[in-house]
Amino acid sequence: MFAERGTVRRRSLTAIVAAAFGLVAVAALAAGTQVFDPKSHKWVDYDRTKARKYYAAHNEVPEAFRPQMVKFRTAEVPGTIIIDGNQHFLYLVQPGQRAMRYGIGVGREGFGWAGIVRVGRMAEWPTWTPPAEMVARDPKAVKYAGGMEGGPDNPLGARALYLYERDQDTIYRIHGTPEPWTIGLDVSSGCIRMRNDDIVDLASRVKVGAKVIVLMQGAALYKGV
Amino acid sequence: MSGKNAVRTSIRGTAIGFLAGAVSACVSTPPPPPQDQMSRTKVETAPADLQLLCANAVAKASGVDSTKILPVSSSKLDSKTYQVELDASGKKTSCLVDTDGNVKSVEPV
Repeated sequence: MFAERGTVRRRSLTAIVAAAFGLVAVAALAAGTQVFDPKSHKWVDYDRTKARKYYAAHNEVPEAFRPQMVKFRTAEVPGTIIIDGNQHFLYLVQPGQRAMRYGIGVGREGFGWAGIVRVGRMAEWPTWTPPAEMVARDPKAVKYAGGMEGGPDNPLGARALYLYERDQDTIYRIHGTPEPWTIGLDVSSGCIRMRNDDIVDLASRVKVGAKVIVLMQGAALYKGV
Repeated sequence: MSGKNAVRTSIRGTAIGFLAGAVSACVSTPPPPPQDQMSRTKVETAPADLQLLCANAVAKASGVDSTKILPVSSSKLDSKTYQVELDASGKKTSCLVDTDGNVKSVEPV
């Protein structure tokens, strides 16, 4: 989900800037998530239907997508965010060749992207304003055309980290979600979504200006990164 | 049943038992993956840290600013080696890195 209050008005301009940067529209490689089922000891496909069933049964996402500290060999400084869009993980680099890893949901086919950006600003319980195209195609979005106040039903969830390329808002965000079962899937319009508890935790650990590296095989690439 | 037949039946039963045990040992359930590896994708890409180690190696080898280098695709060559393709300010570069994080080679494509 992208575009909150004020962003919509800048969206046309941003689109032009994005084109100027050579944003190439290439469909991201559909990787197909699988999770290990400890009962059957088999790898099983993990799609939207199965994800929703799993969440209904466990009130949790699968173990792989819950926050955990992992080994992470890198030259990037602590505080850097690294997003692996293919594997649906966000890493926050820690000292000692380690990283805090969170599960994420990413852009669906044609909406994935890759690049090096930074956290331009952050907001708590941000307002969400649907893009004009969404308002035009989705009658449910019409009532929010002027903006939806922040809250538990807001698509941006509890926090939003606004991603900038130099001083330009990319229109992409790392944000929370009222649909936690979508973590681990390719579902968004290009934003990175996390469980609300996870985005609150991430926002508390990250500083404005932090480098964000977005990796996604076969996705649109911000030229000049 | 004679004594001989009883012995034969006993030997046959023991042999079948051993065979069944051996077969079940062959198909025993493999251990689950470590906790941090309980998900995967059908298309196996290199772990993010290995991709970025390649980006760092390309920056050192080419002199290009590391903020201009981005891994764009990767694949597993064998159980120990990944190939990572990178975009370095528009120049395509290929990197081989092993699972221990050792960069084996960096070459322009």
